[in-house]
Amino acid sequence: MAILRWRGPGGSPFVELERMRNYMENAYSALASGVNQLRRNYTGVFPLINLAEDDEKLYLTAELPGIDSETLELSVKNDTLTIKGSKRAEPSVGEVNYHRREREPGSFRRSLTIPTKIDSEAVEANFKNGILTVTMPKAAEARARQITIKSL
Amino acid sequence: MTESNQEINAHEKTPVDLGGVETTSGGPRFSPLVDIWENDQGLTVIADMPGVAADGLNIDLRDNVLTILGKVVEDKTERKIISREYEIGDYFRQFSLSEQIDQEKITAAVKDGVLTLTLPKLAPAQPRKITVVSE
Repeated sequence: MAILRWRGPGGSPFVELERMRNYMENAYSALASGVNQLRRNYTGVFPLINLAEDDEKLYLTAELPGIDSETLELSVKNDTLTIKGSKRAEPSVGEVNYHRREREPGSFRRSLTIPTKIDSEAVEANFKNGILTVTMPKAAEARARQITIKSL
Repeated sequence: MTESNQEINAHEKTPVDLGGVETTSGGPRFSPLVDIWENDQGLTVIADMPGVAADGLNIDLRDNVLTILGKVVEDKTERKIISREYEIGDYFRQFSLSEQIDQEKITAAVKDGVLTLTLPKLAPAQPRKITVVSE
């Protein structure tokens, strides 16, 4: 059998594999777009975060089912918000046989850049039904102001 | 109860394949992640269903098929989405059970978006040892 030198794009077979993987992922997300109406920014870091806003505030939400609220820590420094916490393994009583084990215990830590200037003193957070909501009032200079147009 | 230092991985939700059957509400449905364990007394099902409150849960057991449906609390706020990493939708999953379950004694509780379902077996089944006879 003849061994040929790889001459694909990028010079390395790994680059080519990566390109193929990206291609497949794009093809897959195009197929799944029936469900995914909005283009998502998938970061792959737990927890996944959604950001929303209105005129006055920014709202961050994250799904944290079964996370101990006592372990949840939230901090804001400059324009970076950090969320930390951990999830315990559910205690099983006595000897049991597992049929499925899909839920994952462990710890997490995620930082993200807040896209708008906020009033960090007035940040509020609440945890309900396994969803963390962080409400961040926008700093005065970041709020949309209505400008009256004078007719001369 | 063990404290784990392992990092949790992010997972995208898996949409439920209803085999062409659509929901009337049109919203997506996702398959919740579960732990299921069994002992002599019964089965325990634990499902991650963030956003589901007790009144949004519908649990059904008939013909040995366990159906879990969790409706998320609707967001009625008028907010503009800046970025979205996860989808919001109801949860749906079915399991076929091989054990006879005592329907009267099923209990369900939901806390912090986690459903705990205990399904006691009808008669505590004694593990039967099967002797293999060699001929």
